[in-house]
Parts: sequence; structure tokens; C-alpha cells
Amino acid sequence: MSKVARAPGASKRLAEDGGASPLSNSLHHLSLQQSPSKASKATPAFADSSSDICPVCKSSRYLNPNMKFLVNPECYHKMCESCVDRIFSHGPAPCPIAGCKRTLRKAKFRSQTFEDLKVEREVDIRRRVAKLFDKQESDFETLIDYNNYLEQVEEINWNLILGIDVEKTEQRLRKWEEARKADLNPNAIRRVTEPDTSQLSDTSHVILKKGATQRKVLMSSSASNLNPLGGGDDAERDTGFVFRGLKKRKAPEPEKPFDPFDGWSIEPQYYSFQGDYNHNWFTAMKNDPQHYAGGYDMREYYSRALCDAFGGMGIFIEDEMTARDTQGFDDAGLGTQSVATVAAGGRDVDMADIF
Amino acid sequence: MAVSPVLSPKPNPPGTKATTNASKAKALAILNHSRSVSSPIAPSAATTPGDGGQDLAEQMNDEVRRQFVSGSRLGEGTYAIVYRGHFRSDPSKLVAIKKMKLNAEFKDGITLDSIREMRHLCELDHPNIIKLYAVFTTKDQNISLVLEHLPRGDLEGLWKDHSIMYGGADIKSWSNMLCQAVWFCHESRVLHRDIKGNNLLIAADNTLKLADFGLARGFADPGRPMTSNVITRFYRPPELLLGSQHYGGCVDIWSTACVIAELALRDFFLPSETDLAQLSVITDVFGIPTETDWPGISSLRHWEVNFKSAAPKRPQPLSFWRQRLPLLGDDGIDLLRGMMAMDPAKRLSAEQVLKHAYWTNYPRPTKKEDLPRQGDGEKKMGEDLKRAGGELESGRTDKVARKLNFG
Repeated sequence: MSKVARAPGASKRLAEDGGASPLSNSLHHLSLQQSPSKASKATPAFADSSSDICPVCKSSRYLNPNMKFLVNPECYHKMCESCVDRIFSHGPAPCPIAGCKRTLRKAKFRSQTFEDLKVEREVDIRRRVAKLFDKQESDFETLIDYNNYLEQVEEINWNLILGIDVEKTEQRLRKWEEARKADLNPNAIRRVTEPDTSQLSDTSHVILKKGATQRKVLMSSSASNLNPLGGGDDAERDTGFVFRGLKKRKAPEPEKPFDPFDGWSIEPQYYSFQGDYNHNWFTAMKNDPQHYAGGYDMREYYSRALCDAFGGMGIFIEDEMTARDTQGFDDAGLGTQSVATVAAGGRDVDMADIF
Repeated sequence: MAVSPVLSPKPNPPGTKATTNASKAKALAILNHSRSVSSPIAPSAATTPGDGGQDLAEQMNDEVRRQFVSGSRLGEGTYAIVYRGHFRSDPSKLVAIKKMKLNAEFKDGITLDSIREMRHLCELDHPNIIKLYAVFTTKDQNISLVLEHLPRGDLEGLWKDHSIMYGGADIKSWSNMLCQAVWFCHESRVLHRDIKGNNLLIAADNTLKLADFGLARGFADPGRPMTSNVITRFYRPPELLLGSQHYGGCVDIWSTACVIAELALRDFFLPSETDLAQLSVITDVFGIPTETDWPGISSLRHWEVNFKSAAPKRPQPLSFWRQRLPLLGDDGIDLLRGMMAMDPAKRLSAEQVLKHAYWTNYPRPTKKEDLPRQGDGEKKMGEDLKRAGGELESGRTDKVARKLNFG
């Protein structure tokens, strides 16, 4: 990508990360709030007395020092551990906080990580969305496409956090999840016909009232509408979200058949091996039982003799030397030079000394 | 003036030997040699003319020796000490330096083992054969071979280690690497003559490498006898036990098949106490071959002693193999029986072995990176490299120098 395109992209990401995010604001707030209060009161454990009273059973930490508060990500209402045990041990039950009718399960209760429950909720949502949208920059053709993708994901986050079009977003998320699953594991594709049948059933109800002929026409037309659009339309409907500039996923290349020679081959270039050769000198050996019974294979000898005879063919020392000299610095010259210097030094290699 | 006798005839195989054509490499060895070794000397020779009275061969030797740094000792044996080492230019590139001990038998020269090893290893350049980087001598006239560093132990240690689990696909992968190495040796006209689990070392990336060419030799001309007293006993083929002096690549094929069977069995396939018992162990499985099974067998030297008046034995049926080696499958057993045909003329050649359907049939051989591996094999590598060829690990005759008839 060019530098021009990178610069705005980078700035955008910066803005997303550190700019107007309420999460970071509230985090900031959180730390600001904590430190002065703790410093002034010097009793960090009982900083906020109201938070230490269970809103359900009204027992306080003063009476029960081991009290632990839990929240359920369904509604984020805080209550103490004993209340959770008492109310939800026998299965799902509605939230005991007045005005909240959500059904909660005991298994989902957990201790909160952040003091601010809004932060807790936002982090949960972001975690969930990030798990579904885990594309990397390398998955996109251009940086702008990637940034647009990030923008779209951020919009989903905020829709869920602020409660805008939650149902519609959730439905799209579900579709996206299924499409993703199908993508990752093509063998486990379920027939994702449920949304289609619901749409069809809505219209077919209408059609049924009118008449069979009309229904047939409509059915065929709808079928003809669906079919020619084919894969592209299908994919768009299935995934719930469309991101532009995604690279096509390449299937891994099928494995080549195993080669027991591992790519090696030794074939004579200058002669063809005939398997048997007749020569007076060979016949005695060929008919000697010591040879043929002992495992001596005359063909091995023939091929070796041929290879020896033709071994020097096709080797042009002149050419190879010039190629070598042009390729590297002139090593050959140095080699002869060194010999020359040694010779000039008067200490020649004394061949007689060796033996 | 003491001049190492190695250096003049022995071209130093440079690390940049890229050419795959063996004959080509041979032709260029001299050229490469003069280029890569003498060129760095040139300045030093020029600047210090009175260089301690060294001649050219000694300077070249020093130059090679200076390329490597030797470190801690990995193992010591009767014939060699193995050190860990690395390239001076690149400390991350490890090597094993095998320092041959002076042998009492060969006071005036180099032991045959090391000559054979140097001679054949410097010609063979294949991913499944151990690489010889360089050879140099030290002040005390000992020859050091700079070999590839293979830290993951050997194949025998692998099947002996019962904490490691492996299956048919892993066996196929290892066997294939072994068969490729054998095929390459035979195509390059080298007989290894000591293939066994101990000599199959495993590199850091799980590649199997054939090592220890101390008993290797080129294929003989017809009419020239070779010694039949080669190959560690468990892996020795029947024709050598019958005293054949004219043999070919078939002897390595038998040993290879023994190693594959060993892998599948997780035990020695044809173990015996003595050389004499080995033949009866083999015939227990394969039966006693007659003149029709193996034409000309009665002309082999030790046939009369062993088989002339022996009660006939039938080979074991297919069910025996299926029951004994279930990991190989039917195609694997077919391959193994082809590789272990008693008559060496009927035995598969290395090329036929690699063309067998076993390799391409299901299951596909495991990829190198997925093969089970052994930890702490570096010490084992030292143990393996220091051993001389042709002996079992804890044999009675461990400390006895071998006598071979090098016909």
C-alpha cells in the first residue's frame, strides 16, 4: 500500500483507540474516583458502604466478612453469593431485583472484574464481538478496506452497547457466526434454511389465501429470482455482514503423490544401457557359478564400465572456468599466484620427501 | 620434514560442492581444490615469506583446520575419538569431528577404514548420506574427518526406546530414506557393506542418514575376489555366509531389509550367537535353498559344510510374515520378501525396491517434521561414529582389531 493511504488509516485507528471511547473514559473515571477516595478515607475495604450491602437480602459485609458479590452478564445486577445459591440452585429463575424480569441461570454468575458495571458489560460485548470478527490486516486487499472493516465492527459494538437495533444486530451476528462456522469447517454445514422458510412462510400465507395458480406462479418466480443470483446472493444473505476487499480464501494445494526417489533421477545421457553385452572376455565370468550364484551381477559391471567410459562427456572445462571467473572474483588467478609466490620463495613442494 | 601423506592425493571436498553429477564433481575436484584452499593462503604466504618452514601441503592443511573449532568430546572408541565442533565462520553450523586414532597395524600410513570412508564419502552427496565437510591432520599425524552433526541418535536406539511410539507410516518414511541412500550409493557404484540400525543416524530435522563407510568399497570388476567377511552378522546375507567372493549390491539390499524388518518388529530380525548359527537362523525362516531355488549354490565355498547333508527345510508361509510383521501390511511384506530372496540374482535391486508399490500405497509415509524423535542423541552419535565397521555393539571381539582380506 502507498504511504498516502496508510497515513489516514493509521490516524483513524488512533482516533478509535484513544479518542472518544466511553470505555476509556469510564476507565479513566474509575481510576480517578478510586485513588482520592481511598487516600482520604484510608479504609479501602469499606470505601463504599452501600456496595457492601446485598441489594437482595440486605446483609452487609460487617456481619459476613466473607461475603462475595456476583453478577450475571444477562442484566448485571449485583447480589451476594448466598442469594445466588438460594434463588438459582433449583434452576433458572427471574432476577430478584425489582423491575428486572430476566431469567438468570446460576452457571452464568461470576464475580465482576471492573468496579463499574457499565465497563464490565462493554468489555463483555467487545470480547464477544471480537471473537466473531477476528480478521487481520493481511486478510484484506488494501488498508482502506481493513479500516472500513474495523469501522463496521466498531458500529456493531456500539449498537450492542447503546442498545440500538439490538435485535436486528443480534440476528445478523447469528448469521455471521454460522457462516463463519461453515467457512472454517465445510464438512459441518447445516442447511441454513430457517430464516428463508420464515420469510417464505410469511409470503406463502398470503399466497395461500389467494389461489393455487397464483401461488405456483409466485413460487416459480421466486425460485427463478433466487437461483440465477446464485452463490453471491446466497453468501450475502447467509453471512449477515459484507466486508469489501476481503482476499479470497485459497484452498491448500492437494498433496502430490509420494515420490520414493524424492526427485532424484540418475539416467545416462550419452548412451542407452542395453542390459547384456557379448564379449569373449565376459562369457567366462558370466558362466562362472561363483559369479552368478554368489550375487555378482554383470549388469552392474556393464553400467559402471559404460559410465566410466562416458563420464567425461559433456564437461567443458574451458566453459566452466570462464563461467566461474565471471561469476566470482578471479580466484583461479590467486590460486596460481600463490603457487607462483611459494615457488619463487625457493621452497618448492618437495615431492621426494613424502614417500 | 613431516608432511602429511593424506593431503597430496586427497582433494579437500569443499563445502560448496553444488554439482550433482558425480563424474563432473570428480573432474572438477582438483580445480576446486586449488581455488578454495590456496586462495586464502596467498596473502599470508606473500606477507610472511619465512612461514616457519611450512610447505604448501602443510599450509593447505592448516587452512582447512583453521576453518573448524573443535569442542567437547562426544565419545571415544578403539578406532576414533569424536568431538563436537563448529565452523569458525559460523558457530551455529555444527559438525562432528572424528579423529582417527593411530592404529598399531598401520604404523606407516592411514587405516583402511579411514581411507575408505574419505574416499567414498567425498564422492557421495545425497540428503540421506552423511556429509564429509573436510579432512585435515593434526600435529600428531592423526587424521580428522569433519562430518555432519547428527544429534538425534540412531535408528537402533529409536526402536529400542520403548517410550517412543511409531506406526506403519513412520516405518515407511524411515525405510524410504534408507532405501534412497542405498540406491544412491549403488548408482554411484559404492557398496556400503555395513548397513545396520547403528549406522543410520538421524539429523536434527529427522532426516535419516547413512553413515560409517569404513567397510565401503566400489563394485569390483568381474573375476576380482572381494572378502566375504563383511557386514555385521545379523545383517549378513546368505551368499556371504556361504563364502561368496563375487557379489554386488544385493548384499546391501539384504541388510536394508533386515533393518526395515527390525523397525517393524522392534527387535532384531535374525539374531544369532555365532556366524555359524546365523545361517541356520536364516534357513529357519527362508528354508534351505536347493539347486533349483538358487542355481549354482553348490559351487559356493561353504556350501558343502553347511547344506550338503542338511535335512531339508521349508520356507515359512506368508502367514508367518503377516503374524510377525503386521505393521508392514501385505505390500510391505511383499517388498521385504523380494529384498530377502535367498538367491541374490532374484533379489530386488535398489532401483526395483524404490519402484515397488509399497511406497505409493496407503498409508503415505510420514512427513519428516512429524516423525517421532529421540531426545539426547548427541552422545549416541559420538558412540556410533567412533565404532569401526562390521562389529556388533557389545560383542566379545569388540576390542580385537579385525583382519580382512582386501582382495
